[in-house]
Amino acid sequence: MWTYITRNILQRIITLLIVSIVAHSVIHLAPGEPSQVDPSNPRMKPSDIENIRAAFHLDDPLHVQYVYWMRDLFTGELKSFKDNQPVLPKIWQRFLNSLPLLICATLIIWSLSFPTGIHAAMRRGSAYDRTTTFTAYALISIPGFFLSYIMILWVVNTFNVPVIGMKTFGMEDADVAFRLMDRLWHLVIPSLMSAIGGIAVLSRYVRSQMLEVVGQDYVRTARAKGLSEDNVIYRHALQNALLPFVTMFGFLLPALIGGSVIFEQIFAWPGLGRLGYEAILARDFPVILTINFIAAVLTLAGTLISDLLYAVVDPRIRLQ
Amino acid sequence: MWLKRLLTLIPVLLAAILLQSYFWVPTYETQAKGNPKRLLKYIEASSGDAKILNPILNADSASSNITGMVFEGLLDLDENLELRGRLATHWTITEQTYLLVDPNSQLPSGEPATGALLEQRIQYALDTGALPELKNILLDMRRLPSELQTTTITAQVPGDGNQTNPLSVSISITIPERLAFTLNRVDQDFFNRLAPVIGNQYGTHFQHDKYLHNVDSVDENIVAQVKAQLPSLLSVTEHNPEILFHLRHGVRFHDGQEFNSTDVKFTYDSIMNPRNISPRTSDFEPIKTIEIFDTHTVKIIYKRLYSPAISAWTMGILPEHLLNDVAMQKEMDERNLSKATRETFSMRDSTFNRNPIGVGPFRFVEWQSDQFIKLDRNEDYWEGAPEYEQYIVRIIPDLLIQEVEFQTGAIDFYSTLPHQVARYREDDKYQNFSSLGFGYVYIGYNNRKPLFANPQVRRAMSMAINVDEIIKYIMYNEAERVTGPFPKVTEWYDELIQPVPYDPEGARKLLASLGWKKNAEGWLEKDGKIFEFNMVTNSGNPIRKNIMSIAQNAWKKIGIKCNTQYFEWAVFLKDFINTGDFDATVLGWSMGIDPDLYQIWHSSQSGPQQLNFVGYNNPQADKLIVRIRQEYDRSQQRILTHELHKVIHEDQPYTFLYASKGTRILDKKIVIVEPQLDGSERYKKIYPLKSGAIQFYFTKWRKLEHTPAF
Amino acid sequence: MNTQQEIIDQLPPPETQFQEFWRILKKDRLAIFGMIVLGLLLTLAIASKFTTEWVVIFDPSTVRLPDKFLPPMSESSTDLVPSEDHPVFGIYLFGTDELGRDVFARMLQGSFVSLSIGFIAVGISVGIGIFLGGLSGYYGNVKLGFISIDTLIMRFTDVMLCFPTFFLILTVVALLPPSIYNIMIVIGVTSWMGTARFVRAEFLSLREQDFVIAAKALGLPEHRIIFRHMVPNAMAPVLVSATIGVASAILTESGLSFLGFGVQPPFATWGNILSDGKGFIFDAPWLFFIPGFAILIVVLAFNLFGEGLREALNPKLRRR
Repeated sequence: MWTYITRNILQRIITLLIVSIVAHSVIHLAPGEPSQVDPSNPRMKPSDIENIRAAFHLDDPLHVQYVYWMRDLFTGELKSFKDNQPVLPKIWQRFLNSLPLLICATLIIWSLSFPTGIHAAMRRGSAYDRTTTFTAYALISIPGFFLSYIMILWVVNTFNVPVIGMKTFGMEDADVAFRLMDRLWHLVIPSLMSAIGGIAVLSRYVRSQMLEVVGQDYVRTARAKGLSEDNVIYRHALQNALLPFVTMFGFLLPALIGGSVIFEQIFAWPGLGRLGYEAILARDFPVILTINFIAAVLTLAGTLISDLLYAVVDPRIRLQ
Repeated sequence: MWLKRLLTLIPVLLAAILLQSYFWVPTYETQAKGNPKRLLKYIEASSGDAKILNPILNADSASSNITGMVFEGLLDLDENLELRGRLATHWTITEQTYLLVDPNSQLPSGEPATGALLEQRIQYALDTGALPELKNILLDMRRLPSELQTTTITAQVPGDGNQTNPLSVSISITIPERLAFTLNRVDQDFFNRLAPVIGNQYGTHFQHDKYLHNVDSVDENIVAQVKAQLPSLLSVTEHNPEILFHLRHGVRFHDGQEFNSTDVKFTYDSIMNPRNISPRTSDFEPIKTIEIFDTHTVKIIYKRLYSPAISAWTMGILPEHLLNDVAMQKEMDERNLSKATRETFSMRDSTFNRNPIGVGPFRFVEWQSDQFIKLDRNEDYWEGAPEYEQYIVRIIPDLLIQEVEFQTGAIDFYSTLPHQVARYREDDKYQNFSSLGFGYVYIGYNNRKPLFANPQVRRAMSMAINVDEIIKYIMYNEAERVTGPFPKVTEWYDELIQPVPYDPEGARKLLASLGWKKNAEGWLEKDGKIFEFNMVTNSGNPIRKNIMSIAQNAWKKIGIKCNTQYFEWAVFLKDFINTGDFDATVLGWSMGIDPDLYQIWHSSQSGPQQLNFVGYNNPQADKLIVRIRQEYDRSQQRILTHELHKVIHEDQPYTFLYASKGTRILDKKIVIVEPQLDGSERYKKIYPLKSGAIQFYFTKWRKLEHTPAF
Repeated sequence: MNTQQEIIDQLPPPETQFQEFWRILKKDRLAIFGMIVLGLLLTLAIASKFTTEWVVIFDPSTVRLPDKFLPPMSESSTDLVPSEDHPVFGIYLFGTDELGRDVFARMLQGSFVSLSIGFIAVGISVGIGIFLGGLSGYYGNVKLGFISIDTLIMRFTDVMLCFPTFFLILTVVALLPPSIYNIMIVIGVTSWMGTARFVRAEFLSLREQDFVIAAKALGLPEHRIIFRHMVPNAMAPVLVSATIGVASAILTESGLSFLGFGVQPPFATWGNILSDGKGFIFDAPWLFFIPGFAILIVVLAFNLFGEGLREALNPKLRRR
């Protein structure tokens, strides 16, 4: 068990190293220089550009730059090109902003998908099943920002309440309860929108898992014993069908970055995805690379956790 | 089954928790719900972040919006666009004029002019009532002895290749005996009025070279250049308008320091300091010196007659004690700057520009880049603290989000795009204000080309175009027709002048009377040449492009062949406009508040790279343009501008098309508060000024809890 | 012997693989709907190339300001528009945009561009996937020094899976000069990992199958074994994932367009028509809804058809 974990972690560290090298070279080899990004500054003289290039080691060979980056990253001294602020606290702050969105979206996905999926499986072929199937496909086919704008328009036109951002601007001096509820309200639509795809995929998955399990012998046995249908489904079948979902917890973390860019952009949410987007616009290499690095760490950690969880819940699997 | 119930209960519960929050959130109508302080905040959105919060350095509207709240000028424009005192309580404009004694000139009596003689003759004329107009304005006359003056002037010496380098040359000249006159108002005709005494030809043969003593150079070329510059150094007649500002007492900067005369002089010095690269230098360049009389009196002395220079004093005044050399030195020390940085350090690099301190109605509090700028009200504001406690500008680049935030009450103000105007005008949830801007769009004809040299031809061209149609279909009716070169909102524009009527048949007849007859193909022809020309504009502007295609069609109907071309902006300017190498073009001007049209319409400004690129040349217009910029009396100026408007309209060097309108919308709960004598308050609906500005009474704005009824 | 033969004769003639596939697919009404939509769309896309580019009937770039913001089905009313600029049939089927351009013509032009982005990106990704997956599956045991080809390729696949895909695409597209080809390539290069994995799995299992062993025993040349015998047999899952891949490539392109990194003018794609249209959502909603629903329908058609294919091609899944 422990040797398995150790070996696995080692393997992942090597992968991570390669990921960081690939990312670093891709970004530095692509055309476009951070020092040319600020054309709005007419007082930028060639000598200033030289200074900036030197300060950020942009003229050193690639591998040297890579070492500088790694060193600064791990000593926490990495600074953004754009405003010279330390990168890690910046990312941490944005991460904290993104976290409620992620938690809320996850809650919505998981709490909605199970009942929907199970019902669809139980009434296989019924109108309900066909409707949910079609809806699920429709939901994964709709461009997220298209749906979000329709939603924003509808809410704003019908209810006249603010939906953009993390909170209503101008509420700073309001009562605590109001501020709290205001923040909660601002979570509702963005998290629902970013959950849409997840609900569609997960409920389909729940349905197929349930169908698979329901066809198994032990379920038939349980039915034969004369147990009530609910008892059969929710006690015997569901427990077994749940197993693979445990692994999915591991994949929650990396979702923080990749999928959130568009939604955070639409809802002007100052989160991690938006930070990444702003960094890309400004060619802020340290921020881009670090976000990418953190995403890779999260992905690798996520797969590791899901492997381990699977081993914990499923006694048939042994870690070697 | 508990699990079954749980699985259903959880999503229902989650939805309930999330959705109930809706009932706590303020809507547009109930912005004060749980948050009474919201009514004391004014929140605006800006597409771009501010760049530099310094009134003498900024050039972008986001920055000037903020500096307009934090800083205040000596003057501003009142409801009728007339100057009004702010930091200056009142001011007087007088004039010093100088007349050089020219011994080569003969007085009407035949005697050669001397100082004593001139003085005596003028005094005599005044005493006998021969110069009645002068008697009222002349306060004092003195005779100044001749003096030796050493000064430096700039000459151009050949540099690398075709370039020339400026070189400072020290020269000494004798300033001959002079007569100095003090006038109680500016009079550009002062010396003309003296003509009966000194003669019409006085000074025309003044020999400047005689007064040059020494040039610090032996280079003949340089000496020639110095001699060429002498007439401007030694002008026979000189006008020196003077403004005496009496400053307001007891006004304090936000840090508590009292505002006084040194701040005014310091602001001027900073603008003219070449290290600061201020975009405002041209407004302040005509100033000769600033004299501080006492802590609250300053006198501005100008080199020449230039009336637009007064309104430049609407610019915000900087605090001298925070930006003078001592303060800058201290800042450099505190920031531990390197030697190289210190050498180039200027006001532009100071942290002041991110933490401005002025005397305006709002104090600067916080600036989060790309997020917001926050100002608090200045409780000590000399005119009384504003109603609003906070002024916040949020930076929201996406216009759609701005609009959505406005509709939900998260911002108070939205500036609409033309296609949205109709929708908002119908919506009585908001108050909207529509007004003309200071710009206009025109078709310009190259007056130098033989084809367009005749004003009658240009008039026919204008008659063929249905401008109302352009306004209707291209501008969503968000524009008004204009007939001349002044902004329609100012008094310089003469409303009585009727636009050229849309009359294609009349245009054809007019052209026929000038010899243009239709040929077999339907084109107009004269002397074997058909009426054909090229019209150019910049690419990437669909409005101009469509105006061109509408004009092209309209002219085609009367038999004029117009070919259209589009060029990228830089190419368009370089190859066509700057060189004057085009037949016709569609462009627009954005005007200022001053009636000075010198750069755009004076015939001396029609060279390459200059703004009179259509080559308009009318001596009558030239004379009027010069008189307008030298006239300090508003009612006189108005008469002159109306005259100029008429002259230009009759010449039709442009087909004047339209001035576009801007529409702003505002939360309907915002009103103007007027305290009454008995201590009660009255609410008044916000109204736009003549210029279209709505924020004139901003310090008296208040947001009510409910929409008031008017 | 004889009776056996008779029994065989009495059975219905054995179905060919294709017949079986078609019989199953036919039953899936959603998949058939998807197929019909796709068929129409392909015809339309090719027709649009003719009508907007080669034989210009619809010119999507004609600007007619007097006719701007006309709702769908309105007539070109004013005589201010030169007659050569009038729309075909005299009406604007889908209305006009803020410059008076015909939205129908733009959508037509966009259909070809959007579909080519989808197809070329997926072509690239499938190509890389088959190549690497096949290499890894067939030559997996060959050692390169201390590491086998299989390990090398699979580790690399892991590395690629560590990147947050959308963020990576965004970064690279932002750094590269804007070009439609870059977008195709970047989407292709970042989405081959799934294909590679299951091509490898198919190859591993095919390698042990009798017909491959027989072919090897016959001494057939390797390229013949691979391309004639193995690749066609591994194609089924590739086809399914390619179909769904086109759908997600179209969605990715629209997401990129929304963030401002999409295909640049003069190319119109549905993605950039949609993101341009969002600014006029209150005043000219058709500019937003027409491309949005077009994307929805097409992506949905691809997804439904892909799922139908999966069911029809994979006998194991058929039971569900």
